[in-house]
Formats: sequence, structure tokens, C-alpha cells
Amino acid sequence: MASNEKNTATSQKSPMGWISIILIIIGLAAFIYGVVGDHPEKAWQAYLINFLLWSAIAQGAVLFSAVMHMTKARWSGPLSALAESFAAFFPLSFVLFLILFLGRTHIFPWLHEDLHGKEVWLNIPFLFTRDGIGLLILYAIGFAYLYNALQLRADEFQNQGGFRQMIYKGWIRNNRSTEQVKKKMTTWAALYILAFTLVLSLIGYDLVMSMDPHWISTLFGGYSFVKAFYVGLGALIILAAITQIRKGKESGLKPSHFHDIGKLFFAFCLLWADFFYVQLTVIWYGNIPEETYYVIERTVMVPWSKLAWTIFIVCFIIPFVILINKKIKSKPGFMVILCSVIIIGFWFEHLLLLAPALSHGAHSLSLNISDGLITAGFFGLMVIAVSSFLKRFPGFSRTTEAGSPG
Amino acid sequence: MEGKKYIMGLFKNEDQVVSTLAALKESAFKFQRVHSPFPSHKIMDALKLKKSKVGWFTLTGGILGLISGFALAVYCSLEWKLIVSGKPIISLIPFFIVGFEFTVLFAVFGNVIGLLTQARLPTSKGMEYYDPRCSGEHFGVLAACEPMQQDDLKDFFKQNGGEVKVFD
Repeated sequence: MASNEKNTATSQKSPMGWISIILIIIGLAAFIYGVVGDHPEKAWQAYLINFLLWSAIAQGAVLFSAVMHMTKARWSGPLSALAESFAAFFPLSFVLFLILFLGRTHIFPWLHEDLHGKEVWLNIPFLFTRDGIGLLILYAIGFAYLYNALQLRADEFQNQGGFRQMIYKGWIRNNRSTEQVKKKMTTWAALYILAFTLVLSLIGYDLVMSMDPHWISTLFGGYSFVKAFYVGLGALIILAAITQIRKGKESGLKPSHFHDIGKLFFAFCLLWADFFYVQLTVIWYGNIPEETYYVIERTVMVPWSKLAWTIFIVCFIIPFVILINKKIKSKPGFMVILCSVIIIGFWFEHLLLLAPALSHGAHSLSLNISDGLITAGFFGLMVIAVSSFLKRFPGFSRTTEAGSPG
Repeated sequence: MEGKKYIMGLFKNEDQVVSTLAALKESAFKFQRVHSPFPSHKIMDALKLKKSKVGWFTLTGGILGLISGFALAVYCSLEWKLIVSGKPIISLIPFFIVGFEFTVLFAVFGNVIGLLTQARLPTSKGMEYYDPRCSGEHFGVLAACEPMQQDDLKDFFKQNGGEVKVFD
């Protein structure tokens, strides 16, 4: 009887699920309307921004679990399992990347430019092949890590369907002890961290920096993946806080968890700002016109300068001042607001990096409602992915670790 | 304080110290301090100490450092004007490095000063009421009372399972 109830409960969509589906439909409608309308490049710009942002969130959050495992950290507790749930967005992210191919004429301003020898690297077939393979490798490693992580609690999945049954069978077949599974996890975690830095650098160069094909910054890749970890941690804190608020003590999340991950979040806030500053200083000292125009266009010229300052204040100054305080870091409700604001800030940060190149000579930010609606659609996708994962693999039961079978 | 009697209860068990401290808070005797042969979280928690003020010293030092660092860089540039490739004399982007380094340096100074003052160092008096056994296997709980209450305090420590040492 109890199991029956449970089954009906999982098969029914919660109100949150319905809202997400509605958001996805609205976002899709706004996107299609934009693409067939007069300004398809605006719709594709919003699509690219959202693809980059939400993929970075998923990749960065999974990185948290990998890093915690690699460093043998104990403080993360149930946070690691929650972080792994973001891997559910990986397949979606890959499909979204493939769809980007349809909008190639709108999102690559260098297509009809003379690239002075750079066309060897910047051409559509090579770009999509290498980025596609890169993402595929990153996501495959992510899933391999996740598969092993889930084997640690495979005995819970014995009489379940689908993926859980597969994991259970794999666990029985391999007959590995907890130690062996953990060793496997370590290998995959190390590979994931390596792939994360390389692939996110590549994506950063190809899909963001190449928009201004004559501008180069060697640090741009590093900047991209530090940023991805920063937003990934922000999203993880939001998920943890919502879990804590909804489930209370059952979630196993204590104020100390929020305090600790808040400190890590604070550290990456500083590191992100540091990577930005390090790039800026070098460009400032060199004072070479090919390099400086990129910064000047975005931080001094209208209409972008105000946006640039807003982003700097929202993504660095405000979190810096607020996160000095210890008590605030352990207040889930407040952290949801702060992290949401920072993630919205990073939406605009992507806009600042992309839009000046995509719309030369713009006099205003020219954002409209469809940008918001497309973003809402992506948000819906993320919520669906994470919540359906957590429904199948409730994160907080990780604390009881399984022994070896038989 | 004149006229006060200082009495120390010596315990061998950490948990006894914790329960004694809780009882001492309820009583009329004046709690002074605890000597422990090793750092103990249980005792730290039982003492219910106020949050340390050292952080404020560090913060003040840091802010002062940031200002001093910028001020030093601006002052130097104005005194010795070196114009390189048309850059402004006072350029905040590179001065930030000096500001940052001074923030760290002064924050450390503030922290050390805060630590010394908050730990009531330096002191020339040494420990007034101390028993060498507290560096061995005993915990010492020091309390003060009016001379007439002396016996009550002695009984109090004995009831809680400790030895008693009276300071003259």
C-alpha cells in the first residue's frame, strides 16, 4: 500500500513541474517567434547567452562534487549528492549546443570577415566538431563519475525501474567493495576536473572570445571556467537552501554546511574578480590598441559602461561585502536571494561579453521581453532536469554508505 | 580585588568541569577562569564566551591598509612624476595592487595587535592564582567569593567531585 502511494506520488506532476513545463513552452514560443520574426539575431543572442550560462551552472555544480571527492573533503556532507543532480542537465545542454548550429549565421559575426589566417581555426565545421567532441567527452566523464558515485548507494535501487535498476545490476555484476568504487570515482573525478578546465576554456574561446575575432586574451579560458565554478556554486547553494527549507532536518543540511559552502562561494567570488583584474591590468599596461578596444568598448563607451559597472557591483562588490558576515552565510533564505541576484548578474555579464560584438554601434541595450521569456524557458529546463533527478535519486540519503554486495 | 577569597577546584575529569561550570553560573560565586592541560571544545562551549573582538581589529587594519596603500602610491606618483606612454599620473588600476598588498599587511598588524590586547598581553605579573598541577593532569576552575562564603565555595567544589586549593 505504502509503495503504491509512493508510485502515484512520483508519477503525478507537482505544481513546480507544471510551472516548469509552462515556462519551457513560453520560452520555446518566444524563441521561435523571435527566430521567424524580423530580428532572428536577437533571439539567437539570447539563446547563446542562456546556453552558456545554464551549461556553466550544471558543469560547475558537478565540479563541486568531483573536487570534494578528490580532496577527500568531509565537510560537504549531503551537498555533494545535491551537486551531482545538476548532471541531469548535461544531455539537454548537449542537445542545446547542437541546435546552436542552426543559428550559426546569426551568432558568428566573423563568418563573412577576412580573418587574416585565423580561418584555419575559426570555421564552422571545425568549430562545431571540436566543441561538440569536447562537450561529449566532458559529459561522458561526468556521467562515468556519477555512475560510480551512485553505486555507493546501489542497494537502495534494487526494486526500482530504469536507470536505478541499471546501476543496481552494474553494482551486482562488478561486485566491487566501497573502497574500489571510491578509487574509480577518484580517477573519474580527476579526469572530470581536467576536462572541465580544458573544455570550458575551449568553449570560452570559441563561443565568447571569437565574437571579436581580432581580440585575444590568453587568460580568457581560465576566466571562463572560474566563472563557471562560481555560478555553479551559487546554483548549488540555491538548491541546497530550497531543499533545507522544504525538507527541514530530513535533508541533513546544517547551518555549518551553509557556512562552509558560503566560504567557498566567497573565495570564488574573489577568484573571479581576480581573474578579471589580472586580464585588465595586463591590457592596461600593454596599452596596445588591438587589445584595449575590447575593454574600452565595454567599460567606457555608452551604452555598455553602465552595464559593466552594474555587473561589477552585483557580482563582486555586493557579495564581497555581504559574505564577510558569518551569520548571513548560514541563512538559507537569504542566500537564495543573494545567489539568484549574482546568477542574474552573470546573465548580463554574458550579454556584456557578447552583445557589443553582435550588434555593432548599438545605442541602447535593446533588451526586450522575449529575452526574459527565453531565459525563463531555460530556467524551466534546469528545474525539470534537477527535480526529476532528485525524485529518482533523493540526494540526502547519501550519508548511509552501502557495503559490498554478498 | 581586596577582601575577596580565591579558591580553585581541581578536577581530573573534563565532564566534571563542564557540569561544575554550569552550576557555578547559577551560584552566587564569581567565576574567574579555567586552566586546562589541553584545549577542550567541551569546556569552551560550557564557558559560553562572548565572540572574540579580534576580527574587528583585523577589519580596521585592512581598511586602513587599503587607504594607506592607495595614498602612498598617489603621493609617490605626485612627487616623482614619471609619464609613460601618456598614461595618467594617478591611475587607479595599477595602484590597486599596492592597495591590496597594504590591506593584507595592515590586516595582519591589526590582527596581531588585537590578539595581544585581547589576550591581555603583554603582562609582567605572571599568573597570580595558579596551580602547577594544571599543567599536569588536572583541570583548575578558579572562583572568587566573599571571605564569609569561603566554606560554601569549598563545599561546592567538593560536591562536584574536585580537590580544593585556597589562595591567600
